[in-house]
Amino acid sequence: MRVAGEMIGPRGAALLAVTGVAGLLLGVHGWTGRHHGLPSSLAGGQHRAASHPASSATPGSTPSQGPTKARSPKPGPRLSSQSYASYSFLVWPGTPSAAARAAETGLVVTVHRRGGGIAVAAGVRAQALPAATFYPTGAKVYIVEASMGDDSGNSDYNLGDDALVVTDAQGRILQ
Amino acid sequence: MTRINAGARTRRPPQRQAARALDLTAQWAPTAGRVLLGLVLAWFGYHELVSPQLWTGYVPGVSATSGLAAALVLAHGWVLLVLAVAILAGVALRLAAAVAAMLLLQIVITLTITGGLTDLTLRDVGVLGLAITLTGTAPQRAVLSR
Repeated sequence: MRVAGEMIGPRGAALLAVTGVAGLLLGVHGWTGRHHGLPSSLAGGQHRAASHPASSATPGSTPSQGPTKARSPKPGPRLSSQSYASYSFLVWPGTPSAAARAAETGLVVTVHRRGGGIAVAAGVRAQALPAATFYPTGAKVYIVEASMGDDSGNSDYNLGDDALVVTDAQGRILQ
Repeated sequence: MTRINAGARTRRPPQRQAARALDLTAQWAPTAGRVLLGLVLAWFGYHELVSPQLWTGYVPGVSATSGLAAALVLAHGWVLLVLAVAILAGVALRLAAAVAAMLLLQIVITLTITGGLTDLTLRDVGVLGLAITLTGTAPQRAVLSR
């Protein structure tokens, strides 16, 4: 068989056909599971690269500005049992590791102590942050970055693989 | 004495060894490039197919959370997977490499428009160069010719 000047033999055609079918099956698997990825992607309607001005996440003890959504979340499964656990990076409490800071590229995560808990807000750099959400004391904040390969300098080209996860003290997911 | 002479007969002069190494490199380097490009495309194609939601952020002009973005990622992943196998097996190599080069050119242009010329973009420029090289490569080793 000749395609655009290239000769494709029967074995080659069969190989490509099998690959095409396998790709279709994988695609069906991906389509049905497309909502079972990260908990709540930070992408929103974003399709452009998120970029600086650069400043790292700002966990602190000062009161945050703006409204805070009170939440009495019901604990879900443990973060450690999720497929994305291996690329979840702790940003609160404590000082974020180098990997966590790299995962935050293009994003802003703010954590402030407030009353009996913390107020957490996360969004895309250079854009307005959504209202902070309140979590009880003991909550831990993680940033999820499935692939660091989409980060360049202070830009994150693909926000589809970024998410924010908040757990309670036992590691059960609150958000 | 006999053994020493036998060893001396099989040893090649350094110039011939160097020429042989160069010859082997010339024969197999395009194959290595082909396999490595195929692996890159296969990796991305597979992951776009099984986890499209992680890649929708790259789709230009479409909301990352939309079903259209996921469908476009799946179509892109399928094309990448088929191209990867064609390039790995050497089936319609020049055509597959040309299509891969066009896809990579589109990726480079999109990344440049959305994020500027960065290390990430230039990395893809290198892969684009490899794909372009394969569009003009002479007959290769280890191909599925039938």
